[in-house]
Amino acid sequence: MRIVRKILNLLFYLFVVAILALSLRGNLGSPNSIEMNSVEWKREGPFELSPERGRIALVYSLVENKSFIFDLNITKFTAPDVAQRKDGEFVSLFAPGVSFTAIPGYVIGKYFGASQVGAYATSTLFALLNVVLIQFIARRFGVTKAASMIASLTYLFASPAFAYAINLYQHHISTFLILLSVYILISWKNIWSLAGIWFLFAASIVIDYPNVVLLSPIAIFALTRIFVFKTDQEKLVIKFKYFAFLTFFTALIPIGFFMWSNIESYGNPLQLSGTLERVKVVQDESALTDRQLVQRELEGKNPDKKEKTATGFFQTRKLLDGFYIHILSDERGVLWYTPVMLFGIIGACLLYRKKTTIYVVLIGIVGLNIILYSMWGDPWGGWAFGSRYLIPSYAILSVFIGIALSYFRKSYIFLAIFLPVFIYSVLVNALGAITTSTIPPKIEAVALEKLSGVEEKYSFNRNIDYLLSNQSKSFIWRTFAKDKIPAVSYYWILVSSVLIVSGSILAYMKLMESRDE
Amino acid sequence: MNKMNSTKTLNISLNNSSFAKKISQFWARYHVSIIITLLIIASVFAFGVYYLNGLGLSYNDARSHLDIGRRVVEGLKPGLAQLGSVWLPLPHILMVPTIWNDFFWHSGLSGAIQSMVSFVTTAVIIYMFLKKIGVSIFGRIIGVLIFTLNLNILYLQSTAMTELLLIATMTTGVYYLMLWSKDERILDLIKSAFFVMLSTLVRYDGWFLLILSIILIAIEVLRKKGYKVTEGTVILFATLAGFGVALWFLWNLLIFKDALYFIYGPYSARAQQLQLEEAGVLATKGDIFFSTKVYLYALLYSSNAFITILGSIGAVIFWLDKKIKTSIKIVSTALFAPLAFNILALYLGHSVLFVQGLSGDTWFNVRYGVMMMPPIAIFVGYLTHKATSLKYVLVGLITFVLFFSFVNLDAVTIDDARVGSSQKNVSEVSNWLKNNADKDGFILISAASHDAIIFSSGFPMSKFIHEGTGAYWESATISPDRWARWIVMRTNDVNDSTFKLVSESKAYELGRYTLVNHYPFADIYEIKPEFVENLNTEFSIRISK
Repeated sequence: MRIVRKILNLLFYLFVVAILALSLRGNLGSPNSIEMNSVEWKREGPFELSPERGRIALVYSLVENKSFIFDLNITKFTAPDVAQRKDGEFVSLFAPGVSFTAIPGYVIGKYFGASQVGAYATSTLFALLNVVLIQFIARRFGVTKAASMIASLTYLFASPAFAYAINLYQHHISTFLILLSVYILISWKNIWSLAGIWFLFAASIVIDYPNVVLLSPIAIFALTRIFVFKTDQEKLVIKFKYFAFLTFFTALIPIGFFMWSNIESYGNPLQLSGTLERVKVVQDESALTDRQLVQRELEGKNPDKKEKTATGFFQTRKLLDGFYIHILSDERGVLWYTPVMLFGIIGACLLYRKKTTIYVVLIGIVGLNIILYSMWGDPWGGWAFGSRYLIPSYAILSVFIGIALSYFRKSYIFLAIFLPVFIYSVLVNALGAITTSTIPPKIEAVALEKLSGVEEKYSFNRNIDYLLSNQSKSFIWRTFAKDKIPAVSYYWILVSSVLIVSGSILAYMKLMESRDE
Repeated sequence: MNKMNSTKTLNISLNNSSFAKKISQFWARYHVSIIITLLIIASVFAFGVYYLNGLGLSYNDARSHLDIGRRVVEGLKPGLAQLGSVWLPLPHILMVPTIWNDFFWHSGLSGAIQSMVSFVTTAVIIYMFLKKIGVSIFGRIIGVLIFTLNLNILYLQSTAMTELLLIATMTTGVYYLMLWSKDERILDLIKSAFFVMLSTLVRYDGWFLLILSIILIAIEVLRKKGYKVTEGTVILFATLAGFGVALWFLWNLLIFKDALYFIYGPYSARAQQLQLEEAGVLATKGDIFFSTKVYLYALLYSSNAFITILGSIGAVIFWLDKKIKTSIKIVSTALFAPLAFNILALYLGHSVLFVQGLSGDTWFNVRYGVMMMPPIAIFVGYLTHKATSLKYVLVGLITFVLFFSFVNLDAVTIDDARVGSSQKNVSEVSNWLKNNADKDGFILISAASHDAIIFSSGFPMSKFIHEGTGAYWESATISPDRWARWIVMRTNDVNDSTFKLVSESKAYELGRYTLVNHYPFADIYEIKPEFVENLNTEFSIRISK
């Protein structure tokens, strides 16, 4: 029986890998810096948006040119998300962590003649690791194996996490660092666990600066394992484990790397790249796309444009709009893109009743995640699919979903409500994964419409149109299946696979429950 | 496995017998005094900041309030009648003890003092309210901090605006009403009536609270003791609480010969709203959905969206809490009086409020949103108390949000005061007057239209002939060349009463004044030199009609 379970477990992960592989975006080939600027690789290819371009550009520059400094082709490729140093050289505007993490993938991919696919597979790998971690964490909270599997599938395939598991963004790596830290916290209390936490905390900053906020509940919780305050009627006792202070030194490794990288890029070890001014290299008016024209116009209309500071990115006045965009709007909102996440609230309430201390950390991360990116100047995440900034929250909410599923596994009513919402969420998010992430915010879509006279959609309806026009950015479909099956069929194959496997696991869960009874 | 527990630890033990115990006893005995002291320091500090950066007087209304107070004690015709009917009188009456002093007048301190006292009072009332409903010291302090660390509140408490005084009187009134419902002591009901009465003399929001309080008291007593006791209790409450309203009617009757002058008079809010309606910018009138939306947005922007959401959750939990007496829940509904009042006022077209991006392009009157800060603070304090293990998360998130609101100086009321309809940058006109009108002679000006200019010119009130100067005004608008060396008015705008009257005078028609210059808010006219010698320039001149 144990062997059967192990085989089933292995099959589950192979299935996840297969779906991710089928969805991974890319073109065959290892483009050079001139080819990277072509329409085939940019707008119509895997380098469709600037966050991907900015990161792959640094990978390319580091591997091919052995330099943090961009050559002119790479600068043109990355613009407008590129900074200019005082000496006139162009450098990346993004935190360097993602690019460095993607280097092995790029090199391996290049060996097989698909460097971009290799680099993008880095996100896929971390997405897979997140699936594993969600199951592990859920199991720690007493969730059944089957419910934990559904929880992890919900995260990966029923949320916008799917659309960012197949390209080069920071979200899955950040989520991995958060989940791993949480898992370490709930699994071990020894000195090595603390050392690991500080290392991961510092490493998260190299991946994406706002991670310092997202991981702060974990860091604070870890600190309570060094300092212990106890009071009784007679005395106040403050204990601190001074040997544990040594664990802070592990943070120096990522910090040292970060400072070195900053010196190489900007000449200043403490420079946050996001605070640098963007350089707009494309000067030729006729070369500007409609989208660039609209963005320029909208930027010009912004009267509050101030000097860029790290804290200036976050405006409390934007909270209301931000909440709306992230939670309710049909542009990016959870309610439209991944309503299944709302079941996580039920799981959170169930965990609250258990009075688990780590609960405070998990809720803190979700709260900070939503608030931080609601205050963010661009809550849409630029042109994007769903609310990509909330991917760490989806992971935690998925753990809570596992708790809810496990608790209500006897309830047909709960499953009857959960299942259609889950199916809807998978249908929507598979669209984003298979097609494109270039969904404009409503404000830009409306402006574009005025300019082009063509209807511009700003929700996943745009992905439907893309799919119906027989287009997909999946590497496997483009390379091997394009001439054999239409994109729509490819989408249905993927979706039905996910739904069949998820349904089977749910049925298994119910079956085991009946057998136990 | 558990290596860390086996590592050495250092124990620091504070023996409770001496120092720690003393601190604990000191806190237990004086914590309210300590909180008040800290609040006073915060209040004075905030005033200092806004005084030094000049924002304290940015609101046009703040300058008008100060001028009204000043006219009571100084001017061509000082006296209580100068309180007028445009605004309810309590804020201006409270200015009288200090407004005679030029520094208190021109610094705005005369009006800000009452706001500052109100700020401290409200914070203390929030603390006491939470204490009385059984909230721990932690929750109470959070409640106080939510109120005091709101930048809009800190700004408004540093100005001569009336919001803080209204908030303080209303919240204190509800607090004593809650105490009465809890302990059924008649003295608390009388105290409540007194503060509700004060609130009715600050703004019309108080009138709504008066009606709501009477209804809630009636429900509460009827529920417990039947009709007869209800009748007596309501009469007792309404007699004192409604005294201010009755006085206001009487005042209007005595001074303006019409008890409803404040409603239908030429400078009433209604008259202003009619102008706005004609201009097509009173979008909320007759639209309850839009009125609700506009006020909720104002509330969310001025009270912080996240904190407002927490307050709403706290309110729901408060209502569902079986440990809290139903009677307390019923009377605590009065905390929501500003919400209901403002929506109703917008719907009826008695109030105007713009929210950038929703209606208009400014933040005009968005400050009405801060009226809900006390209930929000109370319910957030209550929520943190109930949240047990989650309270640290809540406090962390609140701190995070407040940190960014301070770092980015996010205060919609300051934006309203600095740009848009609520501000009036009259420096060009007032600077001209300051530099050129320091000779003998009066300035003829409409206080209703240009109080900000009067204030900013720096001249004593007795330099100006305005609507409140009785015979001086009547005479000067008929024969300006006998009284006014300078005339400040909006040419061709009949809403400016100076222009309306002076344009019909012979002196104006005969061209006895030279237009000195056009400015954004008014034009300045100066009498031609050949007519100067005929001018009356002395203070007390007997005029026989």
